Amino acid sequence: MLRFPGIRALCTALLACLPLSVQAEPYAYPVSNPFMATVAGTPERLQATVPPEVDVQQADLKVRVLPERHLPPALSQYRDLHYRVAWHDNPAPLIFLIAGTGSGYDSSRMDYLKRLFWQAGMHVIVLSSPTNHDFIAAASRSGMPGIAADDARDLHTAMSMALAKARNELDLEITSYRLAGFSLGALHAAFVAELDEHLGQFDFQRVLLLNPPVDLYASVRRLDALSYTRIAGVSDNDSFYEHIFQKLSRHFASRGNSDIQASLFEEIQSSPQALTDAELAMLIGAVFRFAAADLNFMSDLINGGGRYAPADERLKVSTSLTPYLRRALFCDFSCYVETQLLPAWQSRNADGDLQQMAEQTSLRHLSAFLHDNATVAVVSNASELILTRDDYHFLAQTFGERAFLYPSGGHGGNLDYAPVARRYLQFLQGGSQ
Amino acid sequence: MKPLLNLPLLACLISAPTLSAEPVATVPLYSDPLLELDIDESENRYQFERSSLRALNVQDPIEGVNRRIYRFNAQFDRYVYLPVVRTYAWATPRPVRAGVSNVFNNLGEIPNLGNSLLQGKFKRSGQTTARLLFNSIFGLAGIFDVAGKMGLPRQKEDFGQTLGVWGVPPGPYLVLPFLGPSSLRDGTGRTADWVLEDYVNYMHSRDVMNDYQATWGIWAIDLRYQTPFRYGALDSPFEYDQVRYLYTKLREFEVDN
Repeated sequence: MLRFPGIRALCTALLACLPLSVQAEPYAYPVSNPFMATVAGTPERLQATVPPEVDVQQADLKVRVLPERHLPPALSQYRDLHYRVAWHDNPAPLIFLIAGTGSGYDSSRMDYLKRLFWQAGMHVIVLSSPTNHDFIAAASRSGMPGIAADDARDLHTAMSMALAKARNELDLEITSYRLAGFSLGALHAAFVAELDEHLGQFDFQRVLLLNPPVDLYASVRRLDALSYTRIAGVSDNDSFYEHIFQKLSRHFASRGNSDIQASLFEEIQSSPQALTDAELAMLIGAVFRFAAADLNFMSDLINGGGRYAPADERLKVSTSLTPYLRRALFCDFSCYVETQLLPAWQSRNADGDLQQMAEQTSLRHLSAFLHDNATVAVVSNASELILTRDDYHFLAQTFGERAFLYPSGGHGGNLDYAPVARRYLQFLQGGSQ
Repeated sequence: MKPLLNLPLLACLISAPTLSAEPVATVPLYSDPLLELDIDESENRYQFERSSLRALNVQDPIEGVNRRIYRFNAQFDRYVYLPVVRTYAWATPRPVRAGVSNVFNNLGEIPNLGNSLLQGKFKRSGQTTARLLFNSIFGLAGIFDVAGKMGLPRQKEDFGQTLGVWGVPPGPYLVLPFLGPSSLRDGTGRTADWVLEDYVNYMHSRDVMNDYQATWGIWAIDLRYQTPFRYGALDSPFEYDQVRYLYTKLREFEVDN
């Protein structure tokens, strides 16, 4: 009889060392170009498989977080904070998932991660990024996201309310809590986790940071810079979009039909019309600039700044917002920080400068918490677009063996790559259930 | 018992130093992707602004009405259309849904054929004719897309495209109730295609559908089921503007190819 505990002990020991064997899984991510990886992700055959959307038991719910907030009719659909819940009928751990810059709870990346976590047996609640227009309108108290501590408080409130509603309506049975975020959502997750340590509400068993920035404002400058990439063949009088569309058009012409399929991008990249790195970088930059325009417009509107839409104008459903978009386009993310965020922060911190504000919204501000806390892990890449060399090394040093760093993948392009997904899922499933 | 139970702990303690030392040693080497890019540092760097401002120039004289209809469509989609489609997807097995789509797509080959001919695309017309015959006969009235499996893909052509090929400009942008983005030219084209399908009444489809009116409901559900577009997917308070541009570009493509 005495032998059995020995065998059991040995098994436990083997199990305890299992993360090591997962770590040792070979990394053969095929997309070496970081811009390609960022835009296209992993080729389908190498992805971690997830169930189809229709097979996931899920619902979109909404809560009224800020009853006193008034929104014009043109934006009335954002009065409530909408979010997505995927759940199981049996008791299970619940994971909150926070979207990245200018991304909503219903973006395709969130849907993928949701299915991955749901398949692994967790309830999932997906929330929009605090920088997304819907969250700014419905749940940001200041209406001006970008200060990590404030965003974390807004998120924590939204999470509590979203959870209460989901529990009520869907009869969730929850055994423990986890937290994950992507990109800026990952930085937010770190600040929410730290805040929750003081509040003691969720007591997160695992916190997963997927491709976080380290210093938010530094990352933002890098992404802004992408939209100023010079492109061969686009002169000072040409439109960048027309240039891309012409490439597409030439591709379609040589192919003989214009059916747009899921594999279109892969197909183009292996054709003579393949997009160059500069063009891909510009596309990523442009997407980010549109997110910045949304953010600029919404923050200004909520705060009655009158920079884009006149403060005294009532925006009706029929009001054209195009003129306001035209104006907001000119302000990139750094411009948002300088024209809106910094002045508002300085009104509370009279002697503070940009550097101090930046430090407070950097993971470095939480370095002790992140270093000592075995429940927090990070996933990132050596070719991560949003990190400087120092940022990258900060992650490696602070997280140690809880930093899952890969040589390629750009900004989150390898999160759906099966070996990578297996590794962070394994981490998430540790801890008490 | 106690010392034995401590064995795993001990094992991990022993291996712990190697555990933590190894990943640090194997941190992949950082490389800055931005270094290879030629970033414009000048004062007048307006590539993004210039391109985006141009994209916002779309002829849209009844924008106010369009925006109202757009909002109506989004609400209808959210509270009525998509829930019905979701229930349909939940209640029927995938092969049944595929069969339904195939039947309606097969009927839609009539305008595809008519418009291929009108645009003088004779090779395409031949392919579409072959599709129509194969699928109607061997595919049991279109339930199975046999032609697709034989390597004859569906080639959509509508009368809006035909008008475009003939040199008719799109005209003012329109948002149609329930149907979404369109233009004066494409809206007119839709009507023409509809009349054509009515006139040809292929396999008595229109008679059958009028006799069994529930089939129109299935037609409408399948129409949405086959359309991947989701309101709110562009994640922007300026979705109307972005959709307007993308629709215009998409139609330019379809006319050109």
